[in-house]
Amino acid sequence: MTRATRLSALAFAGFLLSSVSAFAGPKIVSGPGPDPNCFKPWSAQTKYMQWDKKPGPYRIAVVNGFVGNTWRIQMLQTAKAYAEQSGVKEKIKEFKVVSTGTDVAAQLGAIEDFINQGFDAIITIAVAPDGFDRVIRLADRNNVVIVPFDNVLDTDKVMQVNEDQLEIGRLSARHLLKELGQKRDGKILEVRGLPGNSVDRDRHLGFREVMEKEGKFQIVEVVGNWDDGTAQKATADAIAVHGKFDGVFTQGGSTGSVRAMMDAKHPFVPMAGEGENGFRKLIAQHASAGLKGFSYSQSPGLVSISMKAAISALEGNPMPQLISVPIPAVDYTTLKDNVNYWSNLSDNFFAANEFPACGVNVTAPEIMAKDAKNTQ
Amino acid sequence: MSDAVLTRDAAEAGDAARRRGSLGLKLQQQAGILGALALFIVLYLFYQANHPRGFTGQILIQNANEAFALALIAMAQTVPVLMAGLDLSVGAVMTLSGCIASHLVNGTPSEIALGIATCIGVSASCGFINGCVVVYGRIQPIIATLATSAIYMGFALILRPTPGGKVHEDLSWALTNDVREFALTFGLFENGEAAWLQPFAWVPVPLVLLGLIVVLIWVPFTRTVTGRTVYAIGSSEGAAYMSGLPINRAKLAAFTMAGLFAGLGGLFLALQTSSGNADIPQAGAYTLNSIAAVVIGGTSLLGGTGSAIGSVIGALVLRTISFNFRIFDIAPLLQPLFEGLVLLAAVSLGGLKLLRLKNKLEVFR
Repeated sequence: MTRATRLSALAFAGFLLSSVSAFAGPKIVSGPGPDPNCFKPWSAQTKYMQWDKKPGPYRIAVVNGFVGNTWRIQMLQTAKAYAEQSGVKEKIKEFKVVSTGTDVAAQLGAIEDFINQGFDAIITIAVAPDGFDRVIRLADRNNVVIVPFDNVLDTDKVMQVNEDQLEIGRLSARHLLKELGQKRDGKILEVRGLPGNSVDRDRHLGFREVMEKEGKFQIVEVVGNWDDGTAQKATADAIAVHGKFDGVFTQGGSTGSVRAMMDAKHPFVPMAGEGENGFRKLIAQHASAGLKGFSYSQSPGLVSISMKAAISALEGNPMPQLISVPIPAVDYTTLKDNVNYWSNLSDNFFAANEFPACGVNVTAPEIMAKDAKNTQ
Repeated sequence: MSDAVLTRDAAEAGDAARRRGSLGLKLQQQAGILGALALFIVLYLFYQANHPRGFTGQILIQNANEAFALALIAMAQTVPVLMAGLDLSVGAVMTLSGCIASHLVNGTPSEIALGIATCIGVSASCGFINGCVVVYGRIQPIIATLATSAIYMGFALILRPTPGGKVHEDLSWALTNDVREFALTFGLFENGEAAWLQPFAWVPVPLVLLGLIVVLIWVPFTRTVTGRTVYAIGSSEGAAYMSGLPINRAKLAAFTMAGLFAGLGGLFLALQTSSGNADIPQAGAYTLNSIAAVVIGGTSLLGGTGSAIGSVIGALVLRTISFNFRIFDIAPLLQPLFEGLVLLAAVSLGGLKLLRLKNKLEVFR
């Protein structure tokens, strides 16, 4: 209690004479920027930012949060592989990668540390969509480019890179509708991702938006946590309760969803899901039997687009504040072995890692091959 | 025969301790803390010396901000551990306090004061409820707090279904900087330029707050009968009961203190991030790290010995290990392994005293 009154007295004094230092940082400019097919602005309203041009080569850090699932590990491997590619390598003087765990204080501390160490750009997957005001302020003061991607921040003060999750939901819904032909009723299974996550929310909203407008489907929702095991169990439970579905949209852990259907002797139906190699292998195998699959990907390769965008910003180019990376997606008609899936490699990696529009191509086998070397 | 040998051994040990005097005895009693402190100093100097801007105020501020919440959660965990119990709800109470702060710590000065008081009050009450479940429900602390942590997390999720909110911007800025910036933000002490303030102007505010919490809350607590009883329960609950110590009161107080410290940690986390976030994995990570920090800080999980000050140092050790990853080029996938190895070494320091035992029976004392 004494602390509270003391603080309140201080706070009161503060109101009489408060001063917070002025912002430096990027200028707001008008577009377009370079490479508009790759660095596509999110919408027509997206503003452009321009930092002062810095001479290269640059010091770049990746501050990851959680580590411990395939996606994150593949992302870290991709980052290292991309930094080694010719054309990129020459522009990078120093490249560091840390993972801070799911602790926002540690992540903020790591970002601040790299700012203080004099790094030029910091790529990060934010552990929370909020709370980065202080480091953004510090980055602006020191002319550091911070690029959150994948789990982005609720702010328009930094340049961010992501795929449009609403669009992913819509694309999945459109695929199911196309494959269902004239049928506009029946049961659809929706296997959702991690509850409370904005990616899960947006994919769900996009999916529902199209499905509910187009037909009178009964959509059954289960939670799969984007994880093969959980998705498999959730799908099995749903089949046990509801019998038969006419279509399935699974946000992740797609391989698990398909396996649950096979185990339950559920007939193959049109499906939309993530870009796991295992899922794509199953589609290729069973498409003729009715597994008319669609596989989009929130690719771990987003990290390379973010690095490319950071370098471009450091070179003084005007950049969209929110970059919408083209969604890499294939369906059962466009799957090709050793091109967008690998029948001789394991199930557990994300097959879509290439972005032709960006000239970024770190193929999955390239990363898988580097596995052993990278951990040494 | 063997009995006689034993007593002679014990008598000799007692004599030796008396001969070494109270200073030697004190050092021996604080061996856990001193070991952790030495480890922290080595790791931290190593980090600072290799940092391009080592030994500057900025680095100190950044590190203090990062360590503060964990240090308080570690203090929170210490109190139940001293009674040989674990509190699995510290992370949840911290999160709940942060979520409340993101709603209330904003607006006029009196609103801010009320908001801070609410955070502290609610988190202390959460601790008190834990205590009641343990004392009157006669449930093991680890299970009781596992259940209540889910309840507190539930409340936090109701308050903040998605991350967000706002805390007072100037207060947040001032508390996460050094003393000079704090004074400047609030126009105190000639805007932080007062001559007497200069020797301390570089000190990060979180360190000042941490010092105040230790001196004003922890130290007085350990000097009260209730505080001593917490230690006594950890040593031997039966003996403490037979000695007529206020067992129930001490247990309630211990859990309330845990709630209070966790709440202060959550309040700071909200100020630091100027938002609230009912993040379940994060709460879990803080709870686990708090236990690690307590052990590194020399507090025995069996209860009876240790101190919250040791746990603060333990928290600093934990943080400093990951500081070093930012300086040295260690493959990202190997970092958890390194962290684990250093942790194991740190915890093993506490076991070193076993090597000095002359008699195996001493282990069981």
